[in-house]
Parts: sequence; C-alpha cells; structure tokens
Amino acid sequence: MRRRSGTLVIGGSLVAMVILAALVSFVWTPHDPGLVVPQDRLAGPSGKHWLGADKLGRDELSRLMVGARTTLLVGIVSVGVAALIGVPLGLVAAMTWRWLGEILMRVSDFVLAFPAVLLAIMLTAIYGSGVVIAMIAIGISTIPAFARVVRSGALQVMSTEYVVAARAAGRRPVGIGLRHVLPNVTSLIIVQASVSFAIAILAEAALSFLGLGAPPDVPSWGRMLQESQSLLQQAPRLAIVPGVAIALAVLGFNLLGDGLRDLLDPRLQQRRVEVQR
Amino acid sequence: MSLRRPRVLVSVVGFSLLAGCSAGSSSEESSSATAAPSSGGGGAQGPSNDPISIGLVAEPASLDFTKNDGAAIPQAELGNIYETLVKQDQDGKIVPGLATRWTVSPDRKTYTFDLPANATFSTGAKVTGADVAYSIDQVKTKWTIGLKAKMDPVSAVDATSPTQVKVTLSKPSNSWLFDMTTRVGAIFPKSGGDLANKPVGSGPYTFTRWNRGDSIVLTRNDKYWGQKPHFKTVTLKYFKDPTALNNALLSGTIDVVSTLQAPEALSQFPTSKYQVIEGTTNGEVVLSMNNSRAPFTDKRVRQAVRYAIDHKGLIDTCWAGKGQQIGSMVPPTDPWYEDLTKVTPYDQAKAKSLLQQAGKVGATVRLRLPNLPYATACGPVVKSMLEQVGLKVKIDTLEFPAAWLTTVFKNADYDMSIIAHVEPRDLPTVFGDPTYYTRYNNPQLEPLLAAADQGSETDQVTNMKKAARLLADDAAADFLFLLPNLMVADKGITGLPKNAITEGFDLAALGRS
Amino acid sequence: MILRLLSRLAVLVASLAVSTMVVFGFMVVLPGSPARVALGVNASDASVAQLEQEFGLDRPKGVQYLDWVGGLLRFDLGRSYVSRAEIAPQIADRLQVTLWLVVTSTVLALVIAVPLGVLMAVRHRRASGVLLSALSQVGVAVPAFLAGVLLVALFSVRLGWLPANGWTPPVEDPAMFLEQLVLPVLSLGLVQGAVLARYVRSAVLDVMREDYIRTARAKGLRPMRALVRHGLRNAAIPVVTVLGLQLATLLVGAVVIERVFVIPGLGSGLLDAVANRDLILVQDIVMLLVTAVLIVNFVVDLLYLVIDPRLRSVR
Repeated sequence: MRRRSGTLVIGGSLVAMVILAALVSFVWTPHDPGLVVPQDRLAGPSGKHWLGADKLGRDELSRLMVGARTTLLVGIVSVGVAALIGVPLGLVAAMTWRWLGEILMRVSDFVLAFPAVLLAIMLTAIYGSGVVIAMIAIGISTIPAFARVVRSGALQVMSTEYVVAARAAGRRPVGIGLRHVLPNVTSLIIVQASVSFAIAILAEAALSFLGLGAPPDVPSWGRMLQESQSLLQQAPRLAIVPGVAIALAVLGFNLLGDGLRDLLDPRLQQRRVEVQR
Repeated sequence: MSLRRPRVLVSVVGFSLLAGCSAGSSSEESSSATAAPSSGGGGAQGPSNDPISIGLVAEPASLDFTKNDGAAIPQAELGNIYETLVKQDQDGKIVPGLATRWTVSPDRKTYTFDLPANATFSTGAKVTGADVAYSIDQVKTKWTIGLKAKMDPVSAVDATSPTQVKVTLSKPSNSWLFDMTTRVGAIFPKSGGDLANKPVGSGPYTFTRWNRGDSIVLTRNDKYWGQKPHFKTVTLKYFKDPTALNNALLSGTIDVVSTLQAPEALSQFPTSKYQVIEGTTNGEVVLSMNNSRAPFTDKRVRQAVRYAIDHKGLIDTCWAGKGQQIGSMVPPTDPWYEDLTKVTPYDQAKAKSLLQQAGKVGATVRLRLPNLPYATACGPVVKSMLEQVGLKVKIDTLEFPAAWLTTVFKNADYDMSIIAHVEPRDLPTVFGDPTYYTRYNNPQLEPLLAAADQGSETDQVTNMKKAARLLADDAAADFLFLLPNLMVADKGITGLPKNAITEGFDLAALGRS
Repeated sequence: MILRLLSRLAVLVASLAVSTMVVFGFMVVLPGSPARVALGVNASDASVAQLEQEFGLDRPKGVQYLDWVGGLLRFDLGRSYVSRAEIAPQIADRLQVTLWLVVTSTVLALVIAVPLGVLMAVRHRRASGVLLSALSQVGVAVPAFLAGVLLVALFSVRLGWLPANGWTPPVEDPAMFLEQLVLPVLSLGLVQGAVLARYVRSAVLDVMREDYIRTARAKGLRPMRALVRHGLRNAAIPVVTVLGLQLATLLVGAVVIERVFVIPGLGSGLLDAVANRDLILVQDIVMLLVTAVLIVNFVVDLLYLVIDPRLRSVR
C-alpha cells in the first residue's frame, strides 16, 4: 500500500507541475512566446533564455509554458466531450432495456472503427487543421472507452441489493441512476478520465507531428517536437525539451490514474478499456 | 557549371534572337555525338552500369502532365523521358533541344524548327514533323490542365517535311517560345499511348516502374539519338518528411538530396563527404495581400507591410539564411532582373507611421498558410514582425493543394497568404489578371505586359523592368525571398544544376567522378 | 451459440452498411474538387466542370453512392481519379506493407509484454517488479514517433548500422527488407509492448487474487506454476481484447511511423489520397480500415467464446 500512495504522489505532482506551468503562463512568461528575434536564433541556454531559443529565435521556456496550456486544453476538451457523451450512453446501456444496451454497445464498437488519426485526417480535410479539430477527433474516438467502463460498472451496481430493493420499491429509473448508480461509478469515470487524458496528450503530439494539430503560431509540445526534428543533430535540446515534457505529462496522468484507482476503489480492479496510440 | 549535352556551342542563340531575324543552332549534328568536348558534366563520362538514387520532395499524383498539374510530374519526366524542341540553359537562355535549329520570320509570327534526321522515340519510331504537329495540336485540343492556355497564340502548325515544322502564331509572342521549353512543349509520338501508366518519349531515359508512395525508376534509353547518359538506372525516391530525406542521404540510401526542405539541417552534412550546391530557382516566395479587401485596398497599408518586414532576419530564421532577397516578382536569372530590394527597405518607424496615416493601427488580418514547409516556417516570423508595427495577425493553415486552392486561390477568401510561385516568368500571370487571387488591378500594368510580349527582345526587357518596378512601388505584394536551389550530394556526383530554373530535373547531365 | 454467432454476424453486416454511408457522407461535405487539384491553378471553371463530368461527379449523390457500393459488393474498387489506374492493386500493395509492419511489431509487443507483464505481476511486491513496472510506465509515456526519430538518429545517422528509412518488398531483396524493417518495428513494438505489458500485469494480478490460485498456492505450488497451470487462460481474455483493439487502430495509427520511416503503407496512402482529393481512393481506403476494425472486433468476440466457456451462455 505504501508504494501505491507513492504512485499517486508522483503522478499528482507531475500533473500539478503541468497545471502550474500553464497557469503561470497566463500572467507571466520570460518572453513573448511568439516574438521572433533573428539574433537569438538557436541560442543556447543562458540568463536571457533559460532553455535557449528555437530556430526562429523564440524563447523555448516561454513556448514550453504556453504549450502546457495547449496540452491541457486538448486533454480537457477531448476528455470532456468523451465523458459527456460516453457516460450517459454507458448508463443508458446498462439501465434500460437489454436490446437498447446491445445496440448502443455495437454503436460504440462502430465508433472504435474510426481511430483518432483517421478522424483527424478526415475532419482536417473538411475544416482545416487546428487545435479544435484535434480535440474533437480525439474526443469522439474516446467515447467508447467511457461508455464501456460506465456500462460495466453500472451493471455491477445494478445487481447490488440496494438497487434491486429500490427498483422493487418502484423508484423511477432516472432517480435510481442519479442517486445510486452514478455516484458509484464516479471513481471509474475519474480513473478513465485520467488515463484518457494521457492518451489525448500522445494523440495531440502525433497529430501535430503529421501537421494536423496546432497552427504554427500556437505553441504546442507536439508542434515543437516536430519543428525541432530537423535540428536533432545540431540542437538536440530543442527536441529533448518538448519530448521530455510530453513523456512526463503522460507519465503523470497515467500514474495519477493508477493511484486514484487504488485509492478510490481498491477492491474494484477495473481495467482500462482502451488504448490508442 | 555548364553541364549540358553537346549543344553548348549554341547557347549564343538566345542573343542572336535579339535581332529579331533568323537564328538557330549552327546546324550542328548532335546526333552522332559520342563525346561532348565542351561539357564537363557526367554525360561526358559515357555510359556505365552505375545506378543512382535521387531524393525528391513531392511524389507525382500521376505520370500524365497533360491531365494533371503539379511540378512533380515534369520534374521527373521533362528532358528525361520527353524532350522539348527548345530548352533553357543554366543562365536562362533559350537553346536548341530536340530541334537542331530554328528561324523566326521578320514579322515574328512564324517559327520554323528543324529536326535531326536520326531522332527516335524509345519505341524505335522516328521523330518526325508530324509528331511535333500532333503534340502541339494535342495541347490545344486534348490537354486539360490550365497551362494549355500557353499554346493559345498558335494558329497553325504544319509539318513541312519529316524533319521540319512550321508554327504560325496569331500575334507575336516572346513568351510562347519560352513556354515551349516547359512541359507544354513536350513532344509525344503521334501514335498516342497510355500517358498515365506507360509514358513514351524521345528522351535519354525510359520509364521502367513506379512504386507508388515510394519511387519511380527510369532506365537509360540505349537507343537515344543524342549522347547517352552515364547512369544506367535512376531511382527517384520521394520523401514527404524533410528530415527523413536528409537521413536517407546521411545513411547512404540515396546519393542526392534534390531540395533541402529544412535548410537549418545543412550543417549536419560534413564537407569531407558531401557537396552542397547553392543556386537560385524560379520560386518567388510571395507574401500576398488581397488587394480587393480592406485593409489592403489601401496602398499605405501594403507599403507598411513591406517596410515592417526585416527580410534579412526573416531569411536568417525561417530559411536558415539561404535564399535571396528579391523585392519584386523577378528572379535574378531572368533578363529583366534588377535589384528592387531598396524600394521599401526595412523601417519599422516608417511602417508604423504609414499605418497611422491609414488609420489601420491594430487592424486584424488573417494570414492563411498552405501547409508547406516554407510557409509554416515563415508564417510565425511574418506575424511577429507585423505585430511589432501594430497589426494583429491571425494564422490558420490550409491543406495544400486542395483546401488552399479552393479557399485562397479560387475564392480569394483571405487577407494574406504565403506561397512560392514556381512557374518561370510568372509576373504577368500573378499580377496581370485582376481576377487572379492577388486581385491586383492596376491599369498601368496591362499595357506594359502587352508591349513586352509582342515587341522585340529589347522591348521585352525594358517593359518587364518597368512592370517589376511598378509592382514594388505600388506594393502589390511583398516578396519574402527567392527559394534557393539547395542540393546536397555525395562528393563524387557531378553535373548537378546550380540553378533549378527548368521544369525538368536533368538526369542525363549527371555523372560520378 | 449458433444464434449468438448469427446475431453478431448481422450486427457486423449492419455496421458495414452504415459505414459506407458515413464514409460517403464525409466525401460529400469535403471541400475541394479532384478536378481542380488535377487541373492546377490556371484551370478555367469550364474545364474543371468538364473533368468533373468525366469523373461522374456531376451525377446525383445517390447514384454515385449506389454506384460505389455496388462496385464494392462486386469487389470492384473503381479507378483512381488522379492516376486513372485500378485502385485494387494499389491498395493491395499498401495493405501488404502495413500488415508486415503491424503484424511483426505486434508479435514483438507480445513477446515483450507477456513475460514482462507476468513477471511484474508475480513480483509486484518486490523491488524488481516495481522497477520493471516503472520502466514500462516510462515506455507507455513515450510517443512511438519520438522513439522512431531517436532510433534513427542513433542507429542510422550516428552509428550507420541500419538504413534510416525506406521500404523494399521482401521478394525483391530479403536482406534489405529485414534491415529496413528493424527500426520501424522496434519503435512500434517497444511502445506497444510497454502498453500491453501493463494490461498483462493487471490481468494477471486479478487472476492471482482468484480463489483457485490461492488454493493452488495453499497446496504448495509456487506462484508462477500456479499461474501457468490455472490462471493464464483467464488472464488472456482482457489481453486479447486490448490486443485486438491495438491491432485494428494500428492499421491507420502506423501512419506516423510510416511517415518517419518513409514506408508506403495504407495510412500514408490515405493522407496522399486526401491531399489529392482522390475521393474514390479515400472512400475505398477508409472503408477497408473500418472493415478491418469491425472484423477484428468480431473475431475478438468469437475468441471470447473460445477462451472462456462461461461466456458461451451469458455475457
């Protein structure tokens, strides 16, 4: 158990660091992250640029901090979209007629057939690339994960004695859902959200790498990584900084998810249902 | 580097044409040439069994340039599989290609081309005047791409003999002869064929195989009528990702990087193993401003943009210091080039005051970029520089070509964009038509362009100079820089063109020392 | 049992039918015309319209849809708008490439994940288990393309041991094929392996808490033996689910690795086709991907029934 709480602490602190960087960037960054200074092109770390400057002479640290915002935004919106649609779907599938549940689960299988990259390619062709498109694509492809987790959790709750009793007492399904089922699956949702967040960060990086993510003036870790690729031999620092940031953030959210799982419901060893890279 | 095939002698032709009377090659029998005394290129080494592998950037969508636009198709085919009657040498001069000589009538409306007697297509059939007439006629009747309009000046084509063709124009046109050096001038066998899958021409190479998504393989045409090239097989390998292209050279998979898309990576190629070739292209990287839309309807705002941009700083950052400042829509290889970079020098104070006068301080403009390396690299630089003088810039990226073509090019739904216009001598196309996406409408320009096209070569130069200066003075657009021809290759490779100003990549000139 | 199979099959067919509509719908709203892209910047509207007519794009959408689906049913994928070549052989080539990549890297992932995951679970209270677990967490956190970029920088550019990129069909030059396969498979396989190992670990941990394993251990069997003798079959169920999902999403997800290593697979083919607005090719590739995912799901469902007899009656 001691190691478990260690997981939670490490994960929590990594996530807190990302959030802190993003929040601070709203009020302060060392430099304007978009300011191009030709003389500072590829400058190494110094008092002026703590992490150096990129090929356009923009301050790396400032971009890293503002990039944390993009990362969090993509995570929050895509996970939010997925949870808002996936959770009700999962509940309905578990609590209403069996045939409807079957159909909804088949629909969610169907959505799984459109992974984030495929959706992003198609949506980008229609609406142009951008952070919003990336968020929606990742969000939609994450819906099935939430629907499945919530459904299986809800099915378990539905078979518990108090729900059976409540139903026998003639309570309305909506009431049962809100009063008994939802609170009992909240821990599952939180854990799934944390894990999906990590996946969203990886997906955003991959999309930016393909040029399907943030536009060139919006600092994003995936974009920074992509832009520094050609400089891997001369200025590896420019790739290492965003690369490490991505890895730490993903690690943080994954550990947080693991830790929360054990903390919130040590008996229910719920499995993560989805992986996408 | 003069690495052309035998007809180096005749590069004076471009000048003799200035006189406006008959001109042509000195009836040179290039046919039986077995060695080219005056060329230092690879072709001089004679045929070998060596293969060569060249890394290129954009893969063609099809092999048929009569029905598909895009620079990648002629890049692979023109001058290699297909030949043109006339072609351009490294200095931009028009020299004989498949035709051994040509003459122009005094009224400048009739061109007579002489063909070599021994030229054949790779099928073995002779190249005759009838094939030339057929090819020109096909452009007018069967081609579908927009470039077919280049053949509009032609009113009649006659194959006067198996080795002679007479082309009559409806009005004199200097640009027509030049255009004959591009893909519209390609000569096809009149028997036709499957252009999209089995291209057949009279060039030094034949098409062998296309591995979609990967490479195109060409093999030496051992029946070629001219001097046979050095390399037996040429693999054109295509790379979407600039870094992957560089890595392929570094790890020895390819011998040549045709275009360095990430010039900042240049320093990773040690000079002990690699050579770097730096020259010019026809690719003017234009920061276009929608002349029909506020705030760019106001000349002062357009000028402010030109003053606000530190072109040296921009080239240094987003294109690693490679590339040349131009100031107008003319590359230095064109005869009417002059340095116009001083018309609006970098001056932030001036830019600010012009914006102030126009009352447009703090105006928001939308910079819509195609998702191409130079555009996405330079967009943020432009944004930063314009914001320093008081404009607000919003960037979005559009997928190139499809989305950019529809949104920016066709519907002109943009304030600013960045695109390299790579067609040669494209000033009239880009600014001469008020419906073109730049929406530039200046009544003073049209007469200059007409006079340039219909007059003598001297008139052409004077008038084009005036047109280029007009664009700079009127701030029709800003010209960020001229895309450099940046090649990296194994040290032993010879014959690489210094200036990439032709549509085709001349493979026959290559050799290995 | 038969009934379940039939109902699953019906669902599969229905999903495929819906997919065709969704995919076709996407094409209808896609801005940009294949004709304009093909004809280039200077083309007149009239010639664009003419070419669209030649492509049959001026017909009512319903007719175009039926035409396309009818073709699919006859295994006729149509001709590419851009290259005017038959699509089927093009897709077959690219699919083959992607399958080599995906299947070998999945095998590698399994080879890494199963022993590692079991070890992590069995030793989850010991330092070695914790260390392995931490390592796998780091592996999960690294984007596959970053792994690829770094592997190339090290093994190709610095050391010059392996080609940086490229693809050679195995029949053409088996040695070159293998050399070029190593790095992409490593970058996909290592990261997938780390992800999979986490699932194996948690599945095995679950099983180890089951009564029958406790009983077996109480009878004196060592944990590993107890597990191998009684538990692996049960632990396999969630792992197979995840594996199926991974395999399916990798078909298109490998596009990033295909880009890094310049491999002419299905994902890169899709990106190119979208860029050229080669609509019919886009439709065909997306349909193929969707079909693959649906069939993998279907097979995974069937596997459940095979692995776990209990599921044959209820689920």
